Amino acid sequence: MQAYNELYLALCGQLIRFSAAIVSSFHLAEEVISDVFITVWQKRHQLKHVENPVVYLYVTTKNLSLNTLQRNRRHLHESLELLDTAAFQIAPDAEKSMISAEVSQKIESAIRSLPPRCQLIFRLVKHDRLSYREVADLLDISVKTVDAQLSLAVKKVAQAVRFDLSGELVTSFLHLDS
Amino acid sequence: MDQEKLYTLLTREIANELTEAEAEELQQLLQQYPHASYIREIFMKPWQETGRPASTEQLSDMQARHLQRLHASDATPRVTTEGETPVVQLAKRRWWRAAGIAAGIALLIAVGWKFIPGRTTAPQPQKSLATAKGIRSQLLLPDGSRVWLNSGSKLNYPRSFAARGPRVVELEGEAFFEIATDANRPFRVQTKAFTILVLGTSFNVRAYPQEDSAVTSLVDGAIEVQLDKNGQQKVMLRPNEKLTIPSNLFTARDNEAAVTEEQRPAIHLYKQRLTQIRDSITSETAWVKNKLAFKHLELDKVSALLEQWYGVEISFRDQQKKQLYFTGVFETNNLDEVLEALASTGSFTYTKDEKGRIWIE
Repeated sequence: MQAYNELYLALCGQLIRFSAAIVSSFHLAEEVISDVFITVWQKRHQLKHVENPVVYLYVTTKNLSLNTLQRNRRHLHESLELLDTAAFQIAPDAEKSMISAEVSQKIESAIRSLPPRCQLIFRLVKHDRLSYREVADLLDISVKTVDAQLSLAVKKVAQAVRFDLSGELVTSFLHLDS
Repeated sequence: MDQEKLYTLLTREIANELTEAEAEELQQLLQQYPHASYIREIFMKPWQETGRPASTEQLSDMQARHLQRLHASDATPRVTTEGETPVVQLAKRRWWRAAGIAAGIALLIAVGWKFIPGRTTAPQPQKSLATAKGIRSQLLLPDGSRVWLNSGSKLNYPRSFAARGPRVVELEGEAFFEIATDANRPFRVQTKAFTILVLGTSFNVRAYPQEDSAVTSLVDGAIEVQLDKNGQQKVMLRPNEKLTIPSNLFTARDNEAAVTEEQRPAIHLYKQRLTQIRDSITSETAWVKNKLAFKHLELDKVSALLEQWYGVEISFRDQQKKQLYFTGVFETNNLDEVLEALASTGSFTYTKDEKGRIWIE
């Protein structure tokens, strides 16, 4: 039970955001994640063969979220095509990255301008530290697509920052580096 | 070119998917492009979630709620020495929970079953998305094309498009398409009225079976509207043009197989410019951006739009009011706001009866 509680605390935050993007409600998402962990608890003896518990939890979350959507008939779409991206948005920590709030904002809006699925892939890799293979399995796409989608996001951010970067900033940074 | 490579390598570094050779290449490129080191630095630092960050207290609250639910659902029978009622309640809840989990597992199995390789059946299985009145939806097709589906519409599309040959979807109602370019696989939209042949482009199709005409509006790119099965009659559209086709034409054409080219009656098609309402808002495509827009439109047609948009019924007590003309752009989920704005012109009043039907008088 100790391990189970730790697992819940470690992962519920990111799983809730993933679910909330699908069901577009944090309240519903909390219930979905609770259901996910209840399922895991009840099936704990059958789950020994599961190779990657994190991906297993993500996949279960995806399925139960879609299930909830269908039950509530809130939307009529039946897959991950319409995502509430606000739920899983991430941005650089301005202080730790030594960037101005302005640049941070530029990056945030660059990310937000990407297609929802691309944003999701970026978050899953960058923030939740999932591997290409894991994201590919979760979203039912190829590893190549994950790579391409992610580099789209990186390029977009890089361009946003580059256009915004004053020469001064670059020199000051290079200075710091040397 | 090097820049592209740089982004690709940076991407893989972020994802922790760099091979050794790639790592070396990245180092070299970073020396060439000093600005990239700055970007790299930003990416390598941990990012934080925007929006409501969960505090430790919230987390433990959540965990407490979860554990409560978990215990309530626990399948192991418990001995309660308290009265009868709690036992009954417990059993009831347990039954409900068990049903939910069973459904969940069934879904897992069902979904898992689909993913088993080699089970893909030969003819492309069709999927379908339908929207009720008052509901709009959006979807991404397997080829990366994006479709916005307006209310009361239906789109049939294959689960995956064939590697060769045209990508074909069927539409009933209204949809806006943004087609991913693929010169080898032209995109086709089939409606009861016509077939649209597309390369990469964005356009709107309105073909509701209950309306007396069907309209194709082109925003960007190039499309060809094919009016007959064998492609003898095609109309080419340019950006910002729309084509209106009377729908009775097609019911009539079904039994004209024997009619020769000369005898074919002249078809009245209307090619017009898109209706610009304000900068960047055209009434044909405003719905995609969740805006309801119309320009110099009879109240009769405006009310039909509102019926579809809000899923309500609107009738006229005074038939003459149908001929009033209105122009407007609305972005609201509140029908009353729209009606009040229109009625504030003083040209009509409206009431709602007990069934929710709106009467214009």
